[in-house]
Amino acid sequence: MIDTFRRAFTDFFRHKYLHGICVATIALSVFIISAFGLFLINAGEVMEGWQRGIRVIAYLGDRMPEPERTALMETIRQYPEVAGIDYISGEAAFEWLKKEIGRQSTLLNGLSENPLPDSIEIRLKDGIAGVGVVDALAAKVRALPKIAEVEYAQRWLHRFNGIYRLFKLTGLVLIGMIFTAMMMIVANTVRLILYSRGEEIKITRIIGADESFIKYPLYVEGLLLGFFGGAIGLLMLFGAYTATVPRLSPGGLLMFYQIRFIPADLTAMILMTSMLVGWLGCFFSIRKFLDI
Amino acid sequence: MRITPIKPDNAIIRFFEVSKRFGASDAVVGITFDIPRNDFLFISGPSGAGKSTLMKLLYMGERVTGGYIIVDGMNLNRIGRRQIPMVRRKLGVIFQDFKLVASKTVFDNVALVLEVAGLRSRKEIRRKVMDVLDTVGMSDRPDAFPLTLSGGEQQRIAVARAMVGQPKIILADEPTASLDPDSAEKIFNLLLAAHAGGATVVITTHDRDLLARGGSNIIFLEGGRFANRFSRVGGGVG
Repeated sequence: MIDTFRRAFTDFFRHKYLHGICVATIALSVFIISAFGLFLINAGEVMEGWQRGIRVIAYLGDRMPEPERTALMETIRQYPEVAGIDYISGEAAFEWLKKEIGRQSTLLNGLSENPLPDSIEIRLKDGIAGVGVVDALAAKVRALPKIAEVEYAQRWLHRFNGIYRLFKLTGLVLIGMIFTAMMMIVANTVRLILYSRGEEIKITRIIGADESFIKYPLYVEGLLLGFFGGAIGLLMLFGAYTATVPRLSPGGLLMFYQIRFIPADLTAMILMTSMLVGWLGCFFSIRKFLDI
Repeated sequence: MRITPIKPDNAIIRFFEVSKRFGASDAVVGITFDIPRNDFLFISGPSGAGKSTLMKLLYMGERVTGGYIIVDGMNLNRIGRRQIPMVRRKLGVIFQDFKLVASKTVFDNVALVLEVAGLRSRKEIRRKVMDVLDTVGMSDRPDAFPLTLSGGEQQRIAVARAMVGQPKIILADEPTASLDPDSAEKIFNLLLAAHAGGATVVITTHDRDLLARGGSNIIFLEGGRFANRFSRVGGGVG
């Protein structure tokens, strides 16, 4: 075992040029795939954040007596998606509006009566996310008696969710395609490496080497290709991340979100997948090359 | 053509009605002869006589299409693909074009045989490799790469590689064909030394000078067929 690793390491560094090409190919592929992953993770978190922040506003039809209103609020509070509710009277809403529009509030003085209805603001629980959940809750509330209208950022939510899903789907398809291309390139590069070492393998066989003596160090070399390629690709991404993210404007969409790097567990998974690709590339090439 | 077989117990290699066909052409046809243990045998004949094919059949680079070959008690026809390495480990093979691994040093080329045979002790490998390099006069260049050496030096490394595992049989396919007379002399002397150490040595050559230098038996092939056999046991050509 130790001998196999020793020979694999020696041969890996002895054939620098072709191994370098293979490592560079893997590194580039890992960089692209991980960049997509980084984008999807952060975009997903932004979406979740938006969904967490959504509040559903239920407008009450007529001025409702307090006991009836309390009973209605209790019904809503019992829904599993609901974290809490607040009653906002028409008067309070009117005062808030006046404050918000500032100087133009004199325009409101012309109104003979307060046009704003009483409302109940519903906050969703943190763990509850997803457009479907919000839609379902809104429908349940709308069906309650004395509820005139239910409002939430439905259009925006659906639009952003649609865009995110499109990105996610496209990203996954692209990741799949790049992954397949990466494996094919690795397999072909490994085949080139094997062809360049064809004479060496032939000689080793003539002097009595069995298949395992030839194959196992090559498998280890495949793992090393994947490891170094994956590690370099991730380092490249980390370099790009640290170089660009701090320079991004703190305004706009990024005001409330911090772009984070790929979590450690996912980084380890990417590295292991990269090693698996290196090994698979070797496995298929060796099978074909050695005709085993 | 058949010759009187030697005592089976004393034969380390036996060819019986061995034929090898490549496509439509016969490389070797119905060859039968035995090689006794510790023999020093030349197989000679013109180009295309089948000398190298016989060598390939011996180290199982090719399979017979007819007849059978027994090497040190093993019928090669019954050797499965996975057992071929076991047969090859009993042999030391030397080629005209040396067949050294260009990316490995002299030391590593020779050590490879011991590693393949399963020797794990680096200390033991070093001792054996340096001993054999000393024998072939190359102990001062263990870290050199083959392509930096002359043809004669490369062939000496190839001989060292063939000898290091102390095989029972050494096969040398035209070992001096691409060497100058001095280098050829050195290689021949090394093969004589291996023979003196107990190995059976089989050399293919069409070099008459080499044939004149020694060896106990000469087998001549022509057109893939057995043509003649001379024995020099006891000093003269028989």
